Amino acid sequence: MKLLSTYRKEMTIAARGFYFYIEIIMAIIILVILLFAVKENPVSKSKEYIFYDMPQQVSDYLTEKDISEGKLRIGEPVEIKLKPIAFEALNEDTGEVTAYNFEEESVIELQALEALNSDTGELSKTMYIVENEEDLVRIAYSEIEIGATIRMNAQSEFSYIYYMQGYETERLENLLYILHNETPETIEAMTDQQTVRTLDVFDKLNNRENLIPMMIVFMGSLMGFFIVMAYIFLDKSEGVIRAFAVTPSSVWSYLLTKIFVILTTVLFSTSIIVIPIMGAGPNYLMLYVFLIVTTFSMASLGLLIASFFDSMTKSFGVMYGFMIALLLPAFSYFIPSFDPFWLRFFPTYPMLQGMKEILLNGDMGYVLIYSAVFLVGGFILFLLANIKFKKTLTV
Amino acid sequence: MISVKDLSHSYHKDGILAVNNISFEVAKGETFGFLGPSGAGKSTTQGILTGLLKQQSGEVSVAGYDTKKVQNERFNKIGVSFEQSNIYGKLTAKENLDFYSRLFDVPTRDSLELIRLVGLDGKENMRAGEFSKGMKHRLTFARSMVNSPELWFLDEPTTGLDPTIAATIKDIIREQTSKGVTTFLTTHNMFIADELCDRVAFIIDGEIKLIDTPKNLKLQYGQKLIDIEYVKDGEVIKETLKTIDEQDRKRIGEIVKTYDIQTMHSKEATLEEIFIQVTGRGLV
Repeated sequence: MKLLSTYRKEMTIAARGFYFYIEIIMAIIILVILLFAVKENPVSKSKEYIFYDMPQQVSDYLTEKDISEGKLRIGEPVEIKLKPIAFEALNEDTGEVTAYNFEEESVIELQALEALNSDTGELSKTMYIVENEEDLVRIAYSEIEIGATIRMNAQSEFSYIYYMQGYETERLENLLYILHNETPETIEAMTDQQTVRTLDVFDKLNNRENLIPMMIVFMGSLMGFFIVMAYIFLDKSEGVIRAFAVTPSSVWSYLLTKIFVILTTVLFSTSIIVIPIMGAGPNYLMLYVFLIVTTFSMASLGLLIASFFDSMTKSFGVMYGFMIALLLPAFSYFIPSFDPFWLRFFPTYPMLQGMKEILLNGDMGYVLIYSAVFLVGGFILFLLANIKFKKTLTV
Repeated sequence: MISVKDLSHSYHKDGILAVNNISFEVAKGETFGFLGPSGAGKSTTQGILTGLLKQQSGEVSVAGYDTKKVQNERFNKIGVSFEQSNIYGKLTAKENLDFYSRLFDVPTRDSLELIRLVGLDGKENMRAGEFSKGMKHRLTFARSMVNSPELWFLDEPTTGLDPTIAATIKDIIREQTSKGVTTFLTTHNMFIADELCDRVAFIIDGEIKLIDTPKNLKLQYGQKLIDIEYVKDGEVIKETLKTIDEQDRKRIGEIVKTYDIQTMHSKEATLEEIFIQVTGRGLV
């Protein structure tokens, strides 16, 4: 009854403050971004600027051939405004440096050709046809894109000159060499001879879903960690903990209701994000269990840290350090090749992996084991926070 | 109601004691004043008695409970009004009191009645964060009565209040005392102590210098004084003379015979003057 009363009071205070609404508004913003700005399966689209150094009839013939085969389609012409500019270009084969100096501003209209993915038919690349090589170089430099001259000699042989930015990888350069030095038949025959075996077969979240574990973990754990501290410091500034300490109710129930408020907010904000995107897919029971134990442990950590300081400003250094450390596993989550062993000891690492498993309906054993770990860890942190709070009560 | 024996307390490990081996008892229904300047050890003692500070040594019993043992139910019998107001600014006055009421296991007083009692009627639905300092102090005071305490700790109950409100608070304290409530009043305001307390203790540097009733202290330490203003060579001169001092009595006679008296008043020594006399220190 006292716990319920204190929880109701805490929820009233939270509803009259702004932290509660920040969390909810953030969840809505994240949902809108995920739904409307993040594609489920994004296709990488690139731009290329091409100058056909060959008779018009030949380039027209090649273009029409690709269009008829469904490889290309005509796109909307574009107008590019080019500013005066001066730069140098290095020929990597000869070492020759060519200086370019364009003093006049000019506007160029370019015809667009859209390359289509042979499997899906979706747009994969837009090529803009440039009238002369000087404009090509100027556009490639100004637009920071690859430019290519496709040349046909008197023997009807094609050669390619690429204008690149200089930071491209050697792999890309080698790929371009192979592409133009081997016939498509040879490349196809070579790839057919290669066998690719994946070491494991696993389900994958799509691009949009893959962002959800990070959003949930950082809104739940990091915001829970931060907001519980903010609530405590607000109470410390008002001195209400002392008033609570001289009632028959105990300090632990006061601290626990703070965590309940955080849990309510986190469960609510997580549902706002997960349900519209994931639908009925995930195991919601496990999701909420995991969310409760992870938020409980992180909020307990926040309580413990808050017990050492009088005000938010005094705690900033420590709080900031913890927040940065808790963010580090996000690198491993998005760059799987970066997965050092020590990173696994950061609590947000298993949180991210656990959330991913839940959304995939994957390894629930992993989720259950870490649920137990977070529950025990959170309980220990909570006990320590309780002891520290009792000791730091002042007259 | 309160029994303290050989109580000492230190905030640091350097051996400096904030409270040094103090002993006293407060009887049921008594209003006991704990008087001393800032840093004397008043709040530390009250902190130990109310359980906010852990007891380090000595024997302390409050409302029949040993303070070394954690027994939260003892707070059903205790009310504490803090010197610094500590209420929820985002809750209204009524919500503040209603919330605290629900934390007790005993019947509690109606929040609106308490709000009226401290002169905050009409402000019950106003958020406490919008209150003035004095209003917050009154709400903190009202909250300490929520559980109709048998033992009431009051820390500077009239600080920062205008005289009218302070008079109301003093009347409430008198009324509670008349109902048998035991009051432990911590203050550096000797006038309040003089008006309200059955007994007072003078504490300085963590040590209790004496404990007695204000009347006995005045009889023992007080000296009847006469403030006299007279005209000498066209100039008004003021002197304060003791009626029990032979030389001063002669001087009074001499002034009355020789000069034109403007004003002459007799007065009693105040508790503050006695405190200074006993401890050698002021109350600020």
